[in-house]
Amino acid sequence: MKKLLALMMVLAMCMTLVSVPVASAADDLPDQISIYIDGTVVTAENGRDLFEARWEELAEQKFGKKIDLVITQPDHDGYFDALQQAFADPATWPDVCIMPTTYYSAYAAEGALWDMTEAWENSQTKNSGRFHGDNTIEMLKIDGKLYGFSPAIGNGSVTYIKKAWMDAVGITEAPTNWEEYTAMLDKFVNDDPDGDGQADTYGLSAAGFIGPEAPYVNYLPEFYWDAFPSFYQDDEGVWHDGFTEPAMEGALARLNEGYTKKWLDPTTLTNGTSDVRNKFYDDTLGVFTYWAAKWATNLKTNLESNGHDGELIPIPPLAEALPYFDRMPPAWCITEAADNPQGVFDVFIDTMLDGGDFQLLWTYGVQGWHWDTKAETVLGQTFEEGQFHMLENPNSPGTLYPANHIDPVLSLADFADPSYDHRADVVQPESIASEELFQANSRAAQLVPTTEAMSEYNADLTTLKNTLIANVTMGELTYAEAMEKFEKDGGAEKSKAIVDSLNALEK
Amino acid sequence: MVGSAKLASQEKKKNLGQRVKKYWGFYIMFLPVLAFVIVFHYLPMLGIRYAFTQYKLIKAPTFVGFAQFQKLFGMPNFWNAFKNTIELSVIKLLLTTFLSVVISLLLNEMISIKGKKLAQTIIYLPHFLSWVVTASVFQLILAPTSVGLVNTILIKLGVVNEGIYFLGKSEWWRFSYYLINIWHDTGWGTIIFMATLTGIDPGTYEAASIDGAGRWQKMWYITLPALANTIITVLILNLAKIMNLFESVFVLQNDAVMETSQVLQTYVYYQTFNSGAVPDYGYTTAIGLFRSVVGMALMLACNAASHKVRGRGIM
Repeated sequence: MKKLLALMMVLAMCMTLVSVPVASAADDLPDQISIYIDGTVVTAENGRDLFEARWEELAEQKFGKKIDLVITQPDHDGYFDALQQAFADPATWPDVCIMPTTYYSAYAAEGALWDMTEAWENSQTKNSGRFHGDNTIEMLKIDGKLYGFSPAIGNGSVTYIKKAWMDAVGITEAPTNWEEYTAMLDKFVNDDPDGDGQADTYGLSAAGFIGPEAPYVNYLPEFYWDAFPSFYQDDEGVWHDGFTEPAMEGALARLNEGYTKKWLDPTTLTNGTSDVRNKFYDDTLGVFTYWAAKWATNLKTNLESNGHDGELIPIPPLAEALPYFDRMPPAWCITEAADNPQGVFDVFIDTMLDGGDFQLLWTYGVQGWHWDTKAETVLGQTFEEGQFHMLENPNSPGTLYPANHIDPVLSLADFADPSYDHRADVVQPESIASEELFQANSRAAQLVPTTEAMSEYNADLTTLKNTLIANVTMGELTYAEAMEKFEKDGGAEKSKAIVDSLNALEK
Repeated sequence: MVGSAKLASQEKKKNLGQRVKKYWGFYIMFLPVLAFVIVFHYLPMLGIRYAFTQYKLIKAPTFVGFAQFQKLFGMPNFWNAFKNTIELSVIKLLLTTFLSVVISLLLNEMISIKGKKLAQTIIYLPHFLSWVVTASVFQLILAPTSVGLVNTILIKLGVVNEGIYFLGKSEWWRFSYYLINIWHDTGWGTIIFMATLTGIDPGTYEAASIDGAGRWQKMWYITLPALANTIITVLILNLAKIMNLFESVFVLQNDAVMETSQVLQTYVYYQTFNSGAVPDYGYTTAIGLFRSVVGMALMLACNAASHKVRGRGIM
């Protein structure tokens, strides 16, 4: 009897193990999934139809069921406008959408997004042993609940210094603290690092003294140090407005010094991002804080194509500064309109980093269109049979297709079969180096929940803060005058209302 | 003259059916215009109702009466934006209209047809540049560094020791804004005035010359009175649009000059995209409705003033 019981228990255990589905039963899965995507996924001109066909083919192979993927992909720049319009009518809500970082918590707070916490905990991706993005998932949680998924880290900016400029002014080691950093900037301004005999160089620049979206200070981290001019939560879970804290006074003093001594390009206030890039390429600036990973290669290539030395040194944060910000990534969200959200999760979200063909598709695109392994010559480069290589970008002749939605350097999961990992084939060493440096020296940007008070006051408050930062930096106001104005114009009151509303949320 | 008026009056007395039957060709040609006006001008007006709701797109709008207007009128930034809108628009309108008239008069005095055409082409061109391009060009020209043409000239002439940040300093921003607007819009504004000037009977000038009138007198007593109606019409029509100021300001403003450059349309933009929350379209529609009402009131007031002073308006 005991033997029979033991046998039955073993059988029951085996049945349980077997019943953990490799894929959900076909009956539980949706027939169709509608998705709203931006230009980070392969576009119509770049072979989206082929991507869609390949995805459907893989889904049929994996789940034994034909699942129709219905894609809506508005113009990238107008993506959020179009998505908002779709949300205006419940009949047009997609099952899945890419939610921009800025609006993720707001849409979650409005009840538009499906809570995928449990689905994620039980997902194959999380339990695959290949996933190493727990920090990113934690970043996406609001009050412990997960409303979106990202297959890659949000990434962030690191500071690059031109090696040729350092050599020209006699600096042999990259700066590690404020004193060394400012001494270098001073030489970049005054010692003619570009060697043209004219005083026309500046240390660095940015698109404004403060960024337009979170984490705001990521383009001038050497000046802001530990100051953060918006809302943040401390280790005890209490919310603060960093703008009103003493660290901000120090940051503004450094910005003002940088502006006065022309370490900062005098047109920083009115520069757009492309202006800064162009000034870096044409040798007006020696330092540039910009995206890690593939931008390291882009910056190098552009400098070289402008006839300048392309060697850049990415540096860790200064000793006085906090680690770089790892930006929260845009999230793939399942909306409350999905009839079968668990099925959509299983088929769409949980396959994105499957370690196999789905992940290959999301990372590199479609074989024969975006990449291939056959012997051929592409843009002057000859490849042997079996050698992985990207093909010419259909949308940008003369260049190679860079990657599909998942940047291979930023992916949150490894491939199950290492032969699928083609990072070494397509990513340049400087990109990998900058990303490794970034990941070793970054911290997660916090997600700020949305409250009624924020909805009411934050636009005015942000405008006021940005104006005061610009005015103090440019010497129009002293810090004391700026804070007086902050008080007088209702900034302090609005700030307190928002902080109180955030702290009330936690309780 | 009397006969034709009588005929028109008789036509009016005919019922619509008879008129449509008689002039069916004209009515068919009018249909696309009618459809356009209904679809693009009248149907969107249905959106006005959202000004009385709280509407965050995700959820159905909820009726809140005049709450959005109460909130609006209680916001100091709103009144600052309102004041800036009126100041920037009116000064810009007066400057560009005045200069358009002056340039039209100068062009009208040009004897060489080729020279006149060349001058017209040159002054019309800026209008065809988008505001984004215009802003980029002037950011370069007015830059406080060695790439800034204006500052380089000023420094070389010894007028200033260091470049002026024209677009980054509150005290210079408006001056620069008007200057850029004059460059962009004045040439285009001359078209209507030039058309009016072309319509003036040359015989009038000849008669004035025979009577001994000089160039200045002809301009003062013939040209300007002939232009007066057009000037009033242009002013009234443009007054209706003064609350629509957006693109030219948006591309030229920056953090340092928000207090002097924020206008209602940019205020709506920042309320929509800078709050970090799902925007309340009820609030922004209320601002839009307020703008429209003020614009209409200004236009009606100007028309009434024209009636009172000149005995006629344009409506």
